[in-house]
Amino acid sequence: MKEKMPLNATTPVPTPSAAISAEAQMRGPSTVKEESYQAEATAQREPTTRVPEVPASNWDVPETASDRLPKMRADAISVFYGQKQALKDVSIHIHDDRVTAFIGPSGCGKSTFLRCLNRMNDTIAGARVTGKIELDGQDINSSAMDVVQLRARVGMVFQKPNPFPKSIFENVAYGPKIHGLATSKTELEAIVEKSLKRAGLWDEVKDRLTESGTALSGGQQQRLCIARAIAVDPEVILMDEPCSALDPIATAKIEELIHELRGRYAIAIVTHNMQQAARVSQRTAFFHLGEMVEYGKTSEIFTNPREQRTQDYITGRYG
Amino acid sequence: MNSRWTDGSMQARVRKRYAAERRFRFAGLFAVGLSMLFLAILLFTMASRGLGGFTQFEAALPIDFAKTDLFLDPAALRGPDADQTIAGTDLEGAISKAAAETFGPSAEQMFGAAAARNLGRRLLKDPGLLERRETFWLPVGSAIDVAAKHDGDAAAEKLVAQLQSKDQLRRRFNLDFLTASDATDPSAVGVWGALKGSFLTMLVTMVLAFPIGVLSAVYLEEFASRNRWTDAIEVSINNLAAVPSIIFGLLGLAVFLNVMHLPRSAPLVGGLTLALMTMPVIVIAGRNAIKSVPPSIRDAALGIGASKMQVVFHHVLPLALPGILTGTIIGMARALGETAPLLMIGMRAFIASPPSGISEPASVLPVQIFLWSDEVSRGFVEKTSAAIIVLLLFMLTMNGLAIYLRNRFERRW
Repeated sequence: MKEKMPLNATTPVPTPSAAISAEAQMRGPSTVKEESYQAEATAQREPTTRVPEVPASNWDVPETASDRLPKMRADAISVFYGQKQALKDVSIHIHDDRVTAFIGPSGCGKSTFLRCLNRMNDTIAGARVTGKIELDGQDINSSAMDVVQLRARVGMVFQKPNPFPKSIFENVAYGPKIHGLATSKTELEAIVEKSLKRAGLWDEVKDRLTESGTALSGGQQQRLCIARAIAVDPEVILMDEPCSALDPIATAKIEELIHELRGRYAIAIVTHNMQQAARVSQRTAFFHLGEMVEYGKTSEIFTNPREQRTQDYITGRYG
Repeated sequence: MNSRWTDGSMQARVRKRYAAERRFRFAGLFAVGLSMLFLAILLFTMASRGLGGFTQFEAALPIDFAKTDLFLDPAALRGPDADQTIAGTDLEGAISKAAAETFGPSAEQMFGAAAARNLGRRLLKDPGLLERRETFWLPVGSAIDVAAKHDGDAAAEKLVAQLQSKDQLRRRFNLDFLTASDATDPSAVGVWGALKGSFLTMLVTMVLAFPIGVLSAVYLEEFASRNRWTDAIEVSINNLAAVPSIIFGLLGLAVFLNVMHLPRSAPLVGGLTLALMTMPVIVIAGRNAIKSVPPSIRDAALGIGASKMQVVFHHVLPLALPGILTGTIIGMARALGETAPLLMIGMRAFIASPPSGISEPASVLPVQIFLWSDEVSRGFVEKTSAAIIVLLLFMLTMNGLAIYLRNRFERRW
């Protein structure tokens, strides 16, 4: 309880996250058990049927995409690791002007599904994917789609910040370099600057671009990874629990960044933190035991879920 | 407060634990101290025996070429065939005659092949010497040298005393030891031929084993699918690293000499044989180094659309390089000190001139040391130790260079 107190006072971000972050941290599913040991916390606790508070403003994004084609369309995706089926028949549409969140308990297949979207599962020995995924109507597993180009178009940010052990500049410039996106050094520098600015990191690192990317703090490293993904000008950005290794302040910054990137890129984010899903997303998919239980508007999932399992997970009965 | 943590038996257990820790520390210190002691003894023995090998006693010998029966024409020494003219002249005979005249009949054998070589060089430089009487400081033969440095037989000791009383004996740094090659006379031997042979052999080994080893490691670790074949290859490579080196020598003899008919005793064949021996070490070290590169780096590169090869060559290999270089240093150091496989491919021959290429007959340092240690003449004792010092310095230089390179690669990140 104590360590979360300063957050409320010092979080400077004007996003919805600021309003509820302290409360969200307190009521997160992982802390429910811990709270039950504390008398004062128990007194404050609401009945388990309550739903987490979410800012309504986040859901007021106009639904312009409803009559357009989805950016990515996944149809009946199943994934097998050897004999074990990790994902059963998942179908989802990802639109390019929204943030889509995947929530669910550990091992429910949400990261596996995310990795299907840019074929990162290809690198895992024994992994087999069935079903069809389309990017702008084109099958990503067809021979016409080059996997290297697919991964440039569908960028990825990982759970643990993983900058290359090279300079900050090199980290961001690597993608444009290997794809030949810059014809001159000045152009490359412009791309690096633009990407770092979009990732909200430019002011912090502009004087030390030659320093190692691994020398940055965890939150800065994760924003560097986002800048690296942005630098190749992707159409979709996949984020695999981007904040799970970060402290609340760094988390708030990343969430703010997601708000700013929305509309420019289609964003799909996997998260354990339901409040985070409520804060940053317009669509939420709930996964459980390899199945997609429910997919819909974030507002509906969190206030009026159709399925009992979703209700139970959101209210903290399990997970 | 629980008294469990404060009562006597708990205190005794704590004390016992600390005592065990102290004993372990003491045992470790003892082990380190013992190995330092042995290292010190080794270095001291080698230095005390070997450093003498880098010096050579010289005696002043007046020679009047007009009185010798050499009939050397100064004009011939200025001509194009001067080397052959000198080689065809019995300078050794002239020297022993002059020595007998100056120091008495017992001194006839006091100079050896080194003196003749030395004199020949000076005559080539200045053929005018042939026309006058001149006093030359010439390296004494092995018997006198040993007597002057330590203690020799009675006749030599007497001669040394006689020379020293007249101030006709001096000690000089023996540059010839570093520039000459093997010889039958211990005073005339040098390590240059063996050093150059070792260098060329290592070059061949490095050029073959490093790229093949590293690329094999990269392929096996990053590209090959895991199946029965790659498992078999892995087991074979691990076993190869443990095969006794003389087996590789037999393999070299059978394949490179008997089947491929490559030149016997050449650095090319030596290098090929040692490359076979070094490669498994590099492959194993390389695979471990590549394995230890965190998978998150591979994910990061793949995630922004790098191809498999770009991932390996831009990210994995640079990060694994320090580890690979460490393995290479170990493998190359072992190859440099290897004797047994080279004996099998004929590198134990007596080679009196340094090799001019990788297909010329050559000797290598460890084999040279082995050959000299077998010699009867007492003069070879300190030459053997001196050659060991040269070998160790060569090894230190090589490893130092590799470590320097490794640190540079590490610092780039």
